[in-house]
Formats: sequence, C-alpha cells, structure tokens
Amino acid sequence: MRGAARSVLLVLALLASHAPGLHGQRDLGRRAVEALDYPPIDFRPPVPDEWDVDGVPVLMIEDHGLPLVSVYARFRGGYGLFGREYYAAGTALPSQLRYGGTTELSPDSVDKALEYYAIQTSFGGAGEAVSATMNTLVEHLPAAIQLWGSLLARPAFDSTQVEIWRGRQLESVRRRGDDPGGLAFSEFNRLLYGDHPIGWDMDVGDLSPQRLSSQRLAEVHRRVVCRENLVLGITGDVTWRDMRPLLETLVRGVPPCEGTLPPSPVPSISDEPGVYLIERDLEQSVIVMAHTTEVHLADDPSYYSATIGNSILGGGGFSSRILARVRTEEGFAYSASSLWTMPRRYDGLLGAITRTRPENTIPAIELILETMEGLRAAAPEAGEVQTAIERIVNGFVFNFDTPGRIVSRTMFYVAQDLPQDWLERYLEGVRSVTAAGIHDAFAKHLRPADMMILIVGHPERIGREAIEALGPVTVLDVAR
Amino acid sequence: MRSHSKTSAPRRRPPQRPLRRIVARVAVACVVSSLAYQPASAQLSPGERLPVRGLTLGNGMRLLILPRPGAPTVSFVVQFGVGGVNERLGSTGIAHLLEHMLFKGTTTVGTKDVDAEFELFPLMDAAHDTLVHARATGDVATVGRLDDRIAALEDSARVFVEANEFDRILTRAGAQGLNAMTTTGSTMYFVELPSNRTELWFALEADRMLNPVFREYYSERNVVTEERRMRVETSPAGMLYEAHLAAAFTMHPYGVPVVGYMSDLEAISRSEIESYYRRFYGPNNAVVAIVGDIDPDQVERWAREYLGPVPRGETPAPVTSVEPKQLGERRVVVEWDAEPSLRIGWHVPSGVHADAPALAILTSVLTGGRTSRLHRRLVLEDQISGGVFASLGPGSRYPQLLQIGASPLAPHTTREVELAIYEEIARLAADGPAQNELERVRNQIAAGSIRRIQSNLGLAFQLAESLSLFGDWTETFRFSDRLRAVTADDVQRMARDYLTQQNRTVATLVKKEGS
Repeated sequence: MRGAARSVLLVLALLASHAPGLHGQRDLGRRAVEALDYPPIDFRPPVPDEWDVDGVPVLMIEDHGLPLVSVYARFRGGYGLFGREYYAAGTALPSQLRYGGTTELSPDSVDKALEYYAIQTSFGGAGEAVSATMNTLVEHLPAAIQLWGSLLARPAFDSTQVEIWRGRQLESVRRRGDDPGGLAFSEFNRLLYGDHPIGWDMDVGDLSPQRLSSQRLAEVHRRVVCRENLVLGITGDVTWRDMRPLLETLVRGVPPCEGTLPPSPVPSISDEPGVYLIERDLEQSVIVMAHTTEVHLADDPSYYSATIGNSILGGGGFSSRILARVRTEEGFAYSASSLWTMPRRYDGLLGAITRTRPENTIPAIELILETMEGLRAAAPEAGEVQTAIERIVNGFVFNFDTPGRIVSRTMFYVAQDLPQDWLERYLEGVRSVTAAGIHDAFAKHLRPADMMILIVGHPERIGREAIEALGPVTVLDVAR
Repeated sequence: MRSHSKTSAPRRRPPQRPLRRIVARVAVACVVSSLAYQPASAQLSPGERLPVRGLTLGNGMRLLILPRPGAPTVSFVVQFGVGGVNERLGSTGIAHLLEHMLFKGTTTVGTKDVDAEFELFPLMDAAHDTLVHARATGDVATVGRLDDRIAALEDSARVFVEANEFDRILTRAGAQGLNAMTTTGSTMYFVELPSNRTELWFALEADRMLNPVFREYYSERNVVTEERRMRVETSPAGMLYEAHLAAAFTMHPYGVPVVGYMSDLEAISRSEIESYYRRFYGPNNAVVAIVGDIDPDQVERWAREYLGPVPRGETPAPVTSVEPKQLGERRVVVEWDAEPSLRIGWHVPSGVHADAPALAILTSVLTGGRTSRLHRRLVLEDQISGGVFASLGPGSRYPQLLQIGASPLAPHTTREVELAIYEEIARLAADGPAQNELERVRNQIAAGSIRRIQSNLGLAFQLAESLSLFGDWTETFRFSDRLRAVTADDVQRMARDYLTQQNRTVATLVKKEGS
C-alpha cells in the first residue's frame, strides 16, 4: 500500500498579448482584443493519490467542498473482446448489473434502496471496457458502497429483467430506420468494418434466447468483472482512512480473474471508394464520408500534426474550414465537421459529416472535397495554426476543472497503459506543431478522391446523375 | 470606437452610438445600485448559503456574481427575457434566428470594412422584400432570380467580412462550450473561459450589446432552416411534439415552435431582426450570472465600466394572450414513416403558481425513476413500452402542460399504452400517493439540492433563471423547501383536478400506410 503525493506545479502561462492595460475608459471589440493583457495562470491542479487495495489500483482526490462522494470503477473487457455470439450479452452487461438484482436483493428491492438513499449510479460499456459510477451523500456512503459493490460483484441477472431488455432492443431494431443520422452511421461502420465489433449493429439474431440469457450474462460477467481488470477512483468528502475499509470489503468481493482476456481484434477495414446510397424520402440528406488513415494515437509528431490539422479542416467548429465554408458562407447546413479518428492499435478514419436539404446535397459534398483538396495543395495559414493550438493550450485548464474529471482521466491512462503525464506530453506535442507538419500530414494521409461517401436521402431530389458523377454508386438495401 | 453617423441606412442597423460619448454621459448618469441579497431564513439550504453578490446597473441590467474556489475557470450566462412567446404568426422563429445573428460580430469584430458592408445591405434587403411579394403571388421565376441576386450580393459583401471572428477570438482564449439557446421564455448566451480571460468576455459582450452587425443574414437564415429540417422535418419525435403543442394551445404562443415554421423563416427580413433586437435586447431585459474563480470586486468594476454604458432599451410588451379553458379532449394524429409513439398533455398552471411544487412532485411520482408508477406499470409489469417520461412545459412562465410521452413495444399499440396511463392516473387520483413514495421523492430532492450546485455553469444557469423568473436568485433553492412541504393530499388533488379527460390533448404518431 502506498500513498503518493506527487506534487506537480503546472504553471499554465497562457499566451499573453503584449499591450498595456486600459485606463479611464474601456475599449471594446477588436480594439480590446488587441489591447488586453492577461495575467498568467499559476495553478497547481490536484493530483490523485495512488493506492493499492489487494492489487487493485485506486486513485483518489479528497474534495471537501460538498458532502458528496463519487466512486468510479473501470473494468477492462467488453463485447468487443468476445465473438459475435456474445455481442448481445456483452452489450447488456452494464445495464443488467444495475437492473438484474443481486444474489441478496431482488431488482425491485435494489431500485427501492437506491432511490430511498438517493444514490445515483451509472453503468456503461464500450467495446473494450465496462464502467460504473456511484454518487452518494456522504452520510449514506457505507450503505451505498455496499449496495453498489453487490451490484458489481454479485449480480443475479434476473430473467424477467433480461426479457425486458430483449424486448426494448427488439423495438430499437424495429425503429432503426426512424433516425436517419443513426442509420447512416451504423451502415457506414458496417460497410467499413464488416464483421468486426465496430461494424456490428444489433439484429434479431443477436437477441435470440441462445445468445442472450441470464447464463450467458453470468459467463461474460465472470470474464470481465474480476480483480485484475479493475481500476477504482474516488473523489469527494471522505478521507482515505475512512474509505480504505469500505474499499477493502468491495475489492475482496470481486473474485480474481480466471485468465487474461485477449486484446480486441484488429479490424480489416474495407476501403472501397464510391457512393453508397440509402434511398429515403427525406427533407434533409445525411452525408458521411471517410477513408482509412494510418495515423495512430502516440507521442509522435505525426499524431499532433494530424490533431491540429483536423481542427483546421473541420474539427474546430467555427474556426475550421469545413464549417466556415459549408455553413457560414453557403448556408448549406446547420452542422458540418471533419472526423479524424486515431486509435492506438489500428488504422483510423479521415472524412467529414454533414446534413443538408436534398437539392444542396451534391454541392455540399463537392464543397467539402474541394476544401480538403485545399489543405493538400498548400499549408494552412499561420493564423489558422495558431488558433487551433491556442484553443488547446489556453483551454488546457479545463482538463482540471473538477476532481472527477482528473480522476476519470487518470484511470483511463492506467487502463490504456498510457503514461500518467500523457496530458503534459500532449500539450508539448501540440505546441510544437507547424504549418509545414500539417501540410505533410494532409499530403500524406488525405485522399479526397478515395472517399467512401454514404448518402441517406431522396435520389431524385438530389439528382441521380449528379450522384453518379461522384463515383460508382451502390444502392444499399436497408430494410426498415 | 468609430461613429457611424455617415451611414445612410439607420434602419438597417441596431441603435449605435459612439462609445466615448456614451461613457462620458454614463459617468454621470450610471447610477449603480449594489446590494448583497441575504436570504432571511435561518435554515438555509446549501444553495441559499452561496455568497452571491447581486448588482443592478443604472441601465437596468441585473448581475449575479459568485466567486467559487477551484480551478481557474469562470462561467458566464447572459439571459434575455425574450423567446418563442414573444413571436407572432408570420415571424415565428425570429427570436431563435436573432440568437444566431448575434454571433456574426460587430462594427469592429467580424469585418474588414464595415461601411462597405453597410452599403450593400439595403440592396440585399430590397431584393428580399420583392422576393417575399413574388413568392406570395406565385411568381416562381422572380423568386429564383432574386434568390440568386441576394446570394450574389452576399458574396460581394463577404469580401469585407472576417468570418466567424467573434467565435475565433474566444476559441483562441480557450473558451469551452461557446453557444446559445432559445427557449419559449428566454434566450441564453453562455461560455466558459480561463479566469484570466474574464475581462475579455466583458469587452466582447459589451461590444455585442452596443454594436451588433447582422451580416451574412440570408445565408444564416438558410442555416436555421437546415436546423429546422434536422430537429423537426426529419425527426418523428420533433414532428409529433410540434403537432401536439399546436393542438393543445389554440391561441397562446406556447403552441408555436421556437425554431419557427419554414414559411415564416423564409420570409423574415433583416429589418425585422433589427427591430426585434431593439425591442427585446435592452440591458433592462437582461440577467447576467458569472460563477467561478473570480475576484467579485474586480468583476463588479468591469461590469460597471463595460456593461454600465449600454443604453437602456425599450420595455418589452408583456405577453397578454391567455389560453382559454379547454372544453373537451383534443386528439391529433401525425402520419409518418416511423414506428408509433404517443404524447398526452394536460393544461396546468405556470411555474410560479402555488400548485407548481405539487405538480412537480406529481410528475416525479408518475415517472421519476424505476419505482415510479408509470415506469413500473408500462415498462416492468405490462412490458408494453420501452420507456415513459413526464415533464412540465414547454415553458414555466405561463400556464403550461403536464406532458407524458411513451412509445409502444410491438405488437402493442399506442392505445394500450394510453389506457394504461389513464388507469394509473385514476388510481392516483382516487387514492393519492403512498407515504413511502413521497419519502423517496423528498430524499431525492434533498440530495439534488446539493448535487445541483456542483457545476459552475449549471449554477450560473440556475441563478439567471431564478432571478429572471422569480425576481430572486434564492427562489430556485427555496423551491426545494416548497417541494418537501407537498403532501399526499396535494398530489392527489393535482391528479384529480388537472389530469382529466376534458383537459387533455393526445397526439399519436402512426405509421404511414405503405411505408
């Protein structure tokens, strides 16, 4: 057991302008922007204490401002680490931990107890992790952590609750076509990732009794909710001395892992340029386009150049080119942005998303492609680079604005095996980005002519010939 | 600050005066009253104990300043008392459209040559006026020609525009969550900044209040029509909500969508936007909340220096429309290419009415959590719906609706869900809630009264809304006490008196034949 008091002084000397302060009367607008002088921020953000409870890492920040305590748990393991036959059970696991009762309490008793003590819980999951949080008034902490610990470690997976979940999922499958945006993204992922967890979309077969049952949930639970997969975090109005015995009881209720889960499979991404059309009679088309790229999350100049480059292309809101051109200049869309995903272990995607009325669909796509070509052809302007960097550097302090955010992020680093000073490295990496580096990144990785373009919309109103002019067209038969 | 006295089209711009003159005048005229609001009760909730400093400037602007320890960040909310209820048919959506336009910059921000821009505005506006008339007479050719003309003129003006500069300045300062929101009763502008940028916010916000320029208007109006297409015209839930409110409110503006009707959006002119701005965006119609790592004395000084000179605006006319008593159940059906869903709404009093706490408890008893009556009945026991919600709205300033929404799980129908809801309401009206149901809700209120003051931005919203709605920032926290005082009899009375057949409007979305 170790108590760590890493004392790091993070001086956020935010970029200051040069002009002297104001006297007498106040400048407004641009003149004020040019004249104002900002004092540097000298801020020592709280650093989590690190503890170890029977091999489980615990990160804690005491915060005695309000009589509340939050406990965070993150387990390595999710539906993406099992085969398709476990997709429904893996997806259901977080919610069934909450709703399925425990070996001691029925689902109804759990509901009543949580609501009586006004304990807030959340249970969630992604392809590779299951997370749970609990927030309680400090006066109820012992009862709350006992109850929450039982939900995690001793779930009953009540069969009625499983049936309710199955019924709701079947309804979601039935309603899939009601949301054109959601339909576009799930179909796009399916096209790109095929039979990889990222490409999966829940269907009736996944929800069969063979694939979704209390027994199958228990099987997945046994593989995921075990001690070596667990990282814990604590924030709030409690001392380590008071917290420690509660956590020891909680951790000892979580069994050791039976084995190590395999890493999630590396996807084989299909990268077939062309247009993919889902025909729908809609007043607004949904457009998603992307191709693969080889930039990965790493402490590497190419990662930082891609990050800032994406901010300039379309990830930086109104300061980025795609939104400026598609929305501000042309009025084509309410939302328009680029995406550049950079996973750690496999290739990501570079592309764009927007929605616009049918008649503007092709002009909007062409404008986005043209905007992309512009960043391939020439380096971004110095002001654009500066804006994208200052956005991160000057907003850096928001990474530390609540103890919960600090602890959650540090738990993520531990789980991802990232260095705990990752954020500081990231800041330095971002600061070192140059216009030439961004130009190199786009020249190397951005291929507007190779985009897979998915459109959900009305082909006649969009214009079939114009669609075909974008590339070979595949009409997707997506059942309603 | 430049004077714009040479500009030939004063009606094309909001009232603007040279700042120097304003400052000199205000040095004498700006009577600033400052008082620290002190709640009287000895049993104060955590919210009431917050050291909020209240400040009313001579121009009528009210500010709430709350220093809080923690990270060096600060949250700002500016709330104007204008929203969907201040609109009339023919110009629905104008409050929301104006909200968009206030990000377009000022006479110095967002421009390379503001006078050159102003020279082109009258040409665009004249073309638009003619276009609106041509559209009304079905002259399609003229409409198309003038659309192109307006686009070409905006392209000409764009040469003089520094697009999105207001946003870019704040982005470079590290702003988080820069945005705005229009509701039925108010329009809110909000952002979070590193606390060393606090003065920048004052300089930009004062400039925006004094010198806005509604540039790039016609393209931004198209953006808003795209927002409507996204939120309503391609959304089954959005379409049903709009139809439901329109059926429930026959004359009160709560029946009109805040985003506006498409035909109105396409007809609103820039001059209407400017006129609307003058009517509703005076500092006397604004509340500002600033919460974070700040020196309240310094913030008060900046408030006086930057915001004090903004001239008092017109006093907005009150909303006088009163929805007549409903005389029978109303039903509306939306046919759509989507799976079915249901909304039911009953007319109930406003959020400031004496019944408001009991109505809030009633909604919680009905759908607040998994042990609530409707969740248990529809989702857990009968398993005919995937979820159910209840809420009060669409606004709280005027008599509103208690709304319940749910979607059936196939093969069950909206009718089955509807009947089950009525059965549960009848049971509640007959027997009232059990004591343990109220106990559960009261405990959640107690915990909620602490949780709700965790976030600086969340607090800023609550303070601004409470001052705006009740005239007192502490009222939002005292409301918790009023909620705790609600009895089982009160809840029963709400169900019995308000949730009646005669008083309800039912909207169902049914799947269109052949889709």
